[in-house]
Amino acid sequence: MSDKRSIKFDKEVPDNAGRTAIRLFGYLKNQRRRLIIVAVCIIFYTVLNVCTPYYSAGVIDQLFATIRNCVSSGTRFSIEWNPLGMKMLSLFFMYIFTSVFYHFQAYLMASVAEGLILTLRKQISNKLNKLPLRFFDGNKPGEILSRVTSDLDKVSETLQTGLLKLLTAIGTLVGAMAFMFYYSPLLTLVFLVFTVVSLLVTKTVAKKNLKCAADRQRALAYLTGIAEEYYTGRDVIRAYNHEQESMDIVDAAVDELRVATQKTDFLTNCVNPLIRLLSRLSQAVIMLLACHWMLQGRMSLGVVQAFFQYINMAAEPLTETSYMLNSLQSALASAERTFRFLDATEEVPDTSAPTSLENAKGKISFENVSFGYTPDKILMKNISFTAEPGQKIAVVGSTGAGKTTLINLLMQFYEVNSGRITIDGICTTDLTRKDLRHNFGMVLQDTWLFGGTIAENIAYGRPEATMEEIKAAAKAAKVDYFIRTMPQGYNTVLDNEAANLSVGQRQLITIARVFLCNPPVIILDEATSSVDTRTEAEIGKAMKKLMSGRTSFVIAHRLSTIRDADNILFMENGNIIEQGNHKELLAQKGAYAALYYSQFA
Amino acid sequence: MKLILRFLKPHWRLCLFMILFIIIDVIGALIIPTFAAEMLNQGATEGADFSVLVNTCVRMLIAALISGVATILGAFVCSDLTSKVGADIRSALYKKTLCLSGSDFRSFGTASVTTRTVSDITNIQFALLSSFQMLFPVPVIFIVSLVLAFRKDLLMGMVLLGILLVIAIVAGIIMRSTAPMFRKLQKKLDRMSKVLLENITGVRVIRAFNKEMSEEQRLNHEFGDYAGTAIKVNKRFAILDSISFFAINVFVILVYTLSGFRITAGHFQIGDITAIIEYAMLSLFFLMMAQMVILTLPRALECCNRIQEVLDFSPTIADRTDKRAKEKKNCQDVLTFKNVSFRFADADEYTLKNLDFSCRRGETTAIIGGTGSGKSTVASLMMRFNEVTDGAVLLNGVDIREMPQSQLREHLSFVQQRAWLFSGTIADNLRYGNPNAKDEQLWHALEIAQAKNFVEALPDKLESFVAQGGTNFSGGQKQRLSIARALVKKPELYIFDDSFSALDFKTDAALRKALIPETKEAAVVIIAQRISTILHADRIIVLHEGEPVGIGKHDELLTNCPIYKEIYDSQTKEASENE
Repeated sequence: MSDKRSIKFDKEVPDNAGRTAIRLFGYLKNQRRRLIIVAVCIIFYTVLNVCTPYYSAGVIDQLFATIRNCVSSGTRFSIEWNPLGMKMLSLFFMYIFTSVFYHFQAYLMASVAEGLILTLRKQISNKLNKLPLRFFDGNKPGEILSRVTSDLDKVSETLQTGLLKLLTAIGTLVGAMAFMFYYSPLLTLVFLVFTVVSLLVTKTVAKKNLKCAADRQRALAYLTGIAEEYYTGRDVIRAYNHEQESMDIVDAAVDELRVATQKTDFLTNCVNPLIRLLSRLSQAVIMLLACHWMLQGRMSLGVVQAFFQYINMAAEPLTETSYMLNSLQSALASAERTFRFLDATEEVPDTSAPTSLENAKGKISFENVSFGYTPDKILMKNISFTAEPGQKIAVVGSTGAGKTTLINLLMQFYEVNSGRITIDGICTTDLTRKDLRHNFGMVLQDTWLFGGTIAENIAYGRPEATMEEIKAAAKAAKVDYFIRTMPQGYNTVLDNEAANLSVGQRQLITIARVFLCNPPVIILDEATSSVDTRTEAEIGKAMKKLMSGRTSFVIAHRLSTIRDADNILFMENGNIIEQGNHKELLAQKGAYAALYYSQFA
Repeated sequence: MKLILRFLKPHWRLCLFMILFIIIDVIGALIIPTFAAEMLNQGATEGADFSVLVNTCVRMLIAALISGVATILGAFVCSDLTSKVGADIRSALYKKTLCLSGSDFRSFGTASVTTRTVSDITNIQFALLSSFQMLFPVPVIFIVSLVLAFRKDLLMGMVLLGILLVIAIVAGIIMRSTAPMFRKLQKKLDRMSKVLLENITGVRVIRAFNKEMSEEQRLNHEFGDYAGTAIKVNKRFAILDSISFFAINVFVILVYTLSGFRITAGHFQIGDITAIIEYAMLSLFFLMMAQMVILTLPRALECCNRIQEVLDFSPTIADRTDKRAKEKKNCQDVLTFKNVSFRFADADEYTLKNLDFSCRRGETTAIIGGTGSGKSTVASLMMRFNEVTDGAVLLNGVDIREMPQSQLREHLSFVQQRAWLFSGTIADNLRYGNPNAKDEQLWHALEIAQAKNFVEALPDKLESFVAQGGTNFSGGQKQRLSIARALVKKPELYIFDDSFSALDFKTDAALRKALIPETKEAAVVIIAQRISTILHADRIIVLHEGEPVGIGKHDELLTNCPIYKEIYDSQTKEASENE
């Protein structure tokens, strides 16, 4: 069983709510004018909304008086302009204005929050290019993704509706309470007592709910683990006739989740009815007292009716406010995470006085290079080697030996701790990264293609390339024929993470991509698996062709590559422990020789 | 929909209770303002008695309590019902996947089936819950409030009906035009995530090609696109909100105006104004809630279809009979391929052709060939993970299609190329095929599998923790543990599908030597790429492009099978050449 406790959740509470809020609102500066209009609308809306019941109390009393008159005098009811008709018309206009102000603020706010989020997202896309590779190695793609998508969506939603609601709720609450107090302090007190009780109830249930929600998350994560495990291992399950046993375990996990879900859903859905129950009870008591006073003539019908409206007006925001405060808090926590991302340490900037390097010959030297992913743990110590132009360097070693690290340093994805790397005698840190990387072509095992046409993917490094050049590159990579058999040829869109291509074909396209750029230095990571023999041979041929006449670094898995290399770097634990060509290394009878012979049994 | 109804059916009693509670809840919500209006009327009647007021108040309290309790019970039943439906669908889905053959399952993909099992059903369950809680009460509240209004006064009822119709129609129109936009928004969100993910996973390539600027533009384009659509949707909702709000206000004024005439005519009472306005407000409130739910439904429906797709899939391999077949006793040919050919359902060409051989008790049968020669497919036919297209596979003389799959697999131990261990302890994993095995048996198996040394070195020995998939062990260790697991089962036939490839030469040799006495009573099939692994096999079958091009012993094949010789030369020459 996987450890259920080890699952990490994003925090729901911001570390520094104030600072985050101020920073977030700082982004609203460029929308200041719009916000001022919104604020004015909100103020007018709230004031009108709170005042209308007060005004309607007068209207109702007037209406009732007129009705009574009619009934006692036996005349037909009619609306006289003065005062009843006028009053009703003004009430009508008050309502219209309330709606208009409501509409304006809602309509204007429709773009405020999204505009802010768009600004933040653009900053993130800019930030992505400034972050060191270290950051991407240390953070899972899914985590970065959620900073941009779900976290920011949460912020947007809260800003969009939550903040508005919070402001109007507070305004309405204060206004309604003031009027209620004005009408009757005693009835207001009754209302307050019930309100306090319902707030306490909400708080208790919410606390319990939070715990249940966490239980549910855990159960969900556990089920996900089980499902993944059993679906991946289903051949073993079937081979050992373990269908029933696995079914039992899945059922148990499903049931655990069911119980947790049921509890959480119930608690979430019972808060509102509970509050409603309490508020109805308070309504009944208040109505009884109010109507009693009405009988005694101490309160008018219009006032009782208005008071009733105020109760509804005040009860809703009270519960809403506490809910909104929670979601505001979690939105601030989300914003804080996004800001933390935006504040992450950036790459060391390019040198301010760069040397230019055009048409490099491709001589590469590592001079006493030391490197560690963290400064206190130096992985690579004093590495030196030289690759002459046109030479082929094979990098050999087991997983984790540091082959990729070597490439990372060469491409300046990571900075060396000491020593230097030169290209044509120029220290790589004296070049801009752009100039440096311009000289390298890279084909990685993990073939990265983006959602665009095949032609666009091949022309990735040189978008200005003509169709002829693209086709020539594809031909050189032996992928032209295959592309032409696709329904749309070069214009076939690679969608769904290029699911319509096999791994081998994808690799060939990435090779064509490098052909088109024609760089002096090539870095290749040979494919090891999931490629059938024919494609493997074709990739081999294409790679060989790509290497000819260029300095090349090959992360080698194949014997043929190793044997004809000019220099073999045998790596172990981050260091080069042996180097030389095939014959020299075999003669040394060291680690390389042992590895080499172990391949033939 | 069909899916939901199918899974709701067993819980029909809960459904009935839920509906009942929802109706009580709605009636309660509307009866409270009705009582309040009554109290207002009583209070407005000169000379009325206080006890009359108390009477109404008590009735109001009772109504509030009853409807409150009903609502809470309703919430409980609803959560109970929907969580049960979710759990039932999950169990059914998992059960179904167990019946799928390997290629059936691959047509969906592990990741996709996991998503369906977990998040798709969570979505469905949530949609169901919110539909019951917020969608279902809408028609109920419309009907009940209209009934109450009409009971008070025909004209007022008509006005309420009119205003509700207007709001419902406006909501319908806006929803209809917003729903596609909302779906578009979902797609844009997916697209945004996709491009972003491309940017994150492809960071090395992007930087290598100096494409930072253009990627930033591409991302910003997606972000802008998403924001634009989101703003459009927000605006639609702002319009809908304000129209509904406005309509209610017009309604209030209408009620005020009309009430004078109706009250003097004796059809209406002053307090009823409050009641009827409250009816309209509550109906509107429920309608607003329902809108939010409706927008999420297309997505849930999509999830339903994805589940249905799996549940409706008819597996390519199914047991023809539940009854155990009678096997021949002491049959020397444990497993026999009788003129077997195999072709994948969607392929034109045969993957395997004319295979004819027997795996005999106490003997080792080896299958060798290059990548793509169809070696692993042979193993999958033995396990009946795939079904033969022509010919037959016999177990102890009986066609394996004439017995339940479980009966076949009782006799076999299968060791995959890519070893898979389950999370738990080493002992749990080893006892997978034989739950009653004693510790000594486990140690014995580990010793043969050359795994005893490293297991002994672990602090918890047999009780050591194994992570999901066995990721806390190296490839070679996993391989040896899965071999030990196969040995503990003590089957009649062992199938090692390229199982020794992750082992170094020395371990490979030692393991094979130790296997010989252990498998004396059983038939052994070794599928391999390395000739050294199968050198001493009793029978070697050489596969080339799906066809057997040679069957015999090593020495025979060297002389009469050119392909075998070619493989042998390619594997030995390089080594010898460098001596």
